[in-house]
Amino acid sequence: MDKKMMTIDLNSHVLLDKAEKDGVETMYDRKQGFKSQCGFGLQGNCCRICGMGPCRITPKTPRGICGADEHVIVGRNFARMVAGGTAAHSDHARDIAHTMALSSRDGNYKIRDEEKLIILAKEWDVETEGRDIYDIAHEVADVALMEFGKPHGVARFLKNAPEPRQKIWKDLGIEPRAIDREIATIMHSTHIGCTGDIDSLIHMSLRTALADGWVGSMIGTRFSDILFGTPTVRETEANLGVLEDNKVNIILHGHEPSLSEMIVLASEDPELVALAKEMGADGINLAGMCCTGNEVTMRHGVKTAGDFHQQELAIVTGAVEAMIVDVQCIFPALAKVADCYHTKFITTSPKAKIAGSTYMEFSEETAYADGYKIVKEAVLNFKNRDKEKVLIPELKSKATVGYSADAILGQLDRVVNSHIDPAGTLKPLADCLKSGVLRGAVGVVGCNNAKGVSNLAHVTIMKELIKNDILVVTTGCGASAAAKFGLMTKEARKLAGKGLATVCDLVDIPPVLHLGSCVDCSRILDVVGGTAKLLDMDMSDLPVAGVAPEWMSEKAVAIGSYVVASGIDTYLGVMPPVTGSSRAVEILCGELQDMVGAKFTVNENPQELAQIIIQDIEKKRVHFENLVEERMNEKVEAGAEA
Amino acid sequence: MNLYNIIFTGSEQALAAAKGMLAEAIEKNGRDHKVAFPDTAYSLPCIYAATGQKMNTLGDLEGALTVVESLINRTHLLEHALNSGLATALAAEVIEAIKYATMEEPYQAPCAGHVSDPIIRSLGVPLVTGDIPGVAVVLGECPDAETAAKVIKDYQSKGLLTFLVGKVIDQAIEAGVKMSVELRVIPLGYDVTSVIHVVSVAIRAALIFGGLTPGDLSGLLEYTSKRVPAFVNAFGPLSELVVSAGAGAIALGFPVITDQTVLEVPMNLLTQKDYDKVVATSLEARNIKIKITEIPIPVAFAAAFEGERIRKAD
Ligand code: SF4
Ligand code: SF4
Repeated sequence: MDKKMMTIDLNSHVLLDKAEKDGVETMYDRKQGFKSQCGFGLQGNCCRICGMGPCRITPKTPRGICGADEHVIVGRNFARMVAGGTAAHSDHARDIAHTMALSSRDGNYKIRDEEKLIILAKEWDVETEGRDIYDIAHEVADVALMEFGKPHGVARFLKNAPEPRQKIWKDLGIEPRAIDREIATIMHSTHIGCTGDIDSLIHMSLRTALADGWVGSMIGTRFSDILFGTPTVRETEANLGVLEDNKVNIILHGHEPSLSEMIVLASEDPELVALAKEMGADGINLAGMCCTGNEVTMRHGVKTAGDFHQQELAIVTGAVEAMIVDVQCIFPALAKVADCYHTKFITTSPKAKIAGSTYMEFSEETAYADGYKIVKEAVLNFKNRDKEKVLIPELKSKATVGYSADAILGQLDRVVNSHIDPAGTLKPLADCLKSGVLRGAVGVVGCNNAKGVSNLAHVTIMKELIKNDILVVTTGCGASAAAKFGLMTKEARKLAGKGLATVCDLVDIPPVLHLGSCVDCSRILDVVGGTAKLLDMDMSDLPVAGVAPEWMSEKAVAIGSYVVASGIDTYLGVMPPVTGSSRAVEILCGELQDMVGAKFTVNENPQELAQIIIQDIEKKRVHFENLVEERMNEKVEAGAEA
Repeated sequence: MNLYNIIFTGSEQALAAAKGMLAEAIEKNGRDHKVAFPDTAYSLPCIYAATGQKMNTLGDLEGALTVVESLINRTHLLEHALNSGLATALAAEVIEAIKYATMEEPYQAPCAGHVSDPIIRSLGVPLVTGDIPGVAVVLGECPDAETAAKVIKDYQSKGLLTFLVGKVIDQAIEAGVKMSVELRVIPLGYDVTSVIHVVSVAIRAALIFGGLTPGDLSGLLEYTSKRVPAFVNAFGPLSELVVSAGAGAIALGFPVITDQTVLEVPMNLLTQKDYDKVVATSLEARNIKIKITEIPIPVAFAAAFEGERIRKAD
């Protein structure tokens, strides 16, 4: 297949041609190399958990050497994916919590959102009266760090969920205890000769995934807001066209804001800006990629260079002085691509060293000094740029970003009638859902996947949803796709149905809202949970859904699982490796409904998937509207009695 | 029932009523029987503005009802709900037009019914200058006459033009509210369908002062929502027909504030059960800022009283 048929991003087309000319191999070439992928792996019934294996299930060999059948093997593989994803998000969160423990009034890391910290401290019974804000911060950080390995009890944030949801978790026994413990339990139970029951493996996966969404990711998001500021609405631009011809272009790629915040600061350092000019550049141009890009665009409006599938292509422009990365979703291939240009590929985290990269360790203790050194390395590299080899594609899109839950509340206040309701609540959103002006709300999240055409599923599904009066919120590389394709501009209202367009007009928002990075999917839980509580319902009662049209990472598997476990139907545009077990499919796409009130649905055709989501939301509305009516009658009766 | 279904049902009821009345009228008077409202150059103003077509005979009205029918699509999207509201409005205009075509005196004092072009022209200047800061449509029935009078007099004292529809007319009379065009309180009629006569005022304002081309429906809706500062207060139990007519108001950009428990739509459909706050809620919902400072004298004082002659007995 023509490589250009593998992405709908026109900038990518231009750069794929250039890569070919420059003799650079990209993900798209490697994808073509894998003519057909192994069916056993695709179905999830290949096991290499012990030294007797690998074993694979066929009609002739229906069991592994130890006797594990296809259900056990698929279940174990699935559980380990969830554990991998949870570990990634949670280790990220752990670093942020450590950073908060280091925060000080005159240090590199300060408390930016004191109010949010105080609210959290109160939630966690940390004394706040008359105490120094940093003392509070340190104690809160310690409490958070205990969430990773506390010996007793269950996760603290669970009590923020609507009560019926808490009860479901409790009754099913899937309340996560400590994050690391859940991950370790999965690694234990999936060891040879341990759990041999797929129901139990999926059950365990749900508990571990909840330790991600309602603990790890939630800590990551809340703490990042406290340390770096809660995102507010701002303007930015997206796609590779944001690179600049005569500036030092630095791309920040990865996930953790502790690093990226320092790089943002350092790139504004007058000394470094002066140095850039000395080198003959007009200044320093910072652009983000993947989730770190999302973090800095949400908080500083830093432009988004691109998404997961564009990481190599960014370097192929020949205009990138440095690609600075930390952890997660970083192609090891970048080392080879960077070799073909002057680009410095700088790894910074001891958790993610990559052979062939320039390793410059970043440590929270010496954060700014480290950030300064790294940016300086990039600036000094400007002189090595080969003008002949530069090609910056021209496309870029404007985007309005920064919709944290708090920013959303702020926007909703615009439509509150001060003689009826107080400000600062989700009621306007709830009202729009109840009346049907908004048919529903859907979180479109997740990655890019080489199995499909890059960005096609994201963009198709978002457009279909908004056309049908369904509000879209997005994070991760879904957000990058939306930004690149202009869906985050206020003008994109004209692509929305009349109901959504009216809401966008009144509330002054684009039809697709950028909620942040992958850990910020926890913001979606906050908003849905908050709306459910306001309506006196469970999250599974609302006409909402989650979709990962182009998911690829284990983090996405963990996200999908905790979203389902939270009662939100989840739709996947790529089949996970579970079809080898009919039982796995039965549970994930069926029985979960009775357990947690939501399930998975998979369809690899984005157009069809969008229609399924829309139909399901309409079906859900019948149930939702009945409940609304019940609640209204109760209120009227109570009013009559009073 | 969900809000959209209520609206669709109301529209279907309005359509069915109009069809029935029309069939009967045609049977009695023939298709060529003349149809017109008095003193207007705009035929049936709502239908004319929406479709660009003038209605001259009962036979023409059959065509109008086909348009009404085409506006009702039960798909649950706001667009269709608003269109359905407009359908109700147009069906109401057909019903009112049949009344004028077939009855000797369809409206009697105190009810005004159709409002003539000259009156609209006379109201145009104060509306443009903001001397009339808003148009209130008070519809239905308040819990008691005092409440009704309080709300209406409050609007009057703020200089708003208030139209009354339904039982609230009797309540206003009972509480001694004085009514006339000069006093800016106009009782329209007892049937819900008579509310179309105020819609007709808004629409003719758009045609006369906004220079809009008849048939340019989206231009019309934009003009009314941006330029005609009207809103609706719907009191008492709401029938499907009233809710559906309310959707028509919302389509024109006029928020509806009610004392009933309804599925609220921010800025557009609001519940305010505290009658002391209805006026303030409504003004905020329509973003109406009162220019004249209220003068704290016992008698309500505002431009609305300019036309009032103080009678000796008072
Ligand atoms: S755990 Fe069982 S199925 Fe897996 S590799 Fe070992 S023997 Fe084979
Ligand atoms: S959305 Fe997926 S690809 Fe993108 S940064 Fe997150 S996990 Fe990585």
